[in-house]
Amino acid sequence: MPRAIRGVLIECDPSIKSIIVQIDAEDHAYIVEELDDQTLVVKENMLTSLKMKLDEKLKATQIPVEESDLD
Amino acid sequence: VVDQIRLWQIENERMKATPGFLFRDFENLKEYEACVRYADEIGVLTWKSDAKRMFFVTRHEQLRDYIKSRKTK
Repeated sequence: MPRAIRGVLIECDPSIKSIIVQIDAEDHAYIVEELDDQTLVVKENMLTSLKMKLDEKLKATQIPVEESDLD
Repeated sequence: VVDQIRLWQIENERMKATPGFLFRDFENLKEYEACVRYADEIGVLTWKSDAKRMFFVTRHEQLRDYIKSRKTK
């Protein structure tokens, strides 16, 4: 008998997917199933938390903007 | 604030999130194919992998009934 698992299908760049896998590696709280390099299923109740962590990671990888323009 | 808006834009462009159900563990290819075809016909199919015999749908009620009706045949 096939199983149906509730979740959210995420379709994204391979780069974004690898960040999500990184985030999940800490405590395996997010990913239900990795499908391919651009697709995965995550837990529905963890989506908001995942988006926040993803934002943090993306922000951390960005080059800080110089504030000289404000002078 | 500008940075935050930009980050959300990046994410929205790069990431699509669809709530629903992942179907897996089909006994055989025939059962998988019949269910995928049905899911596609009723317009709930979002993603599928023939190699993995898995697919993702936005709603599962009708499909669940369909699977049950196949079993009782």
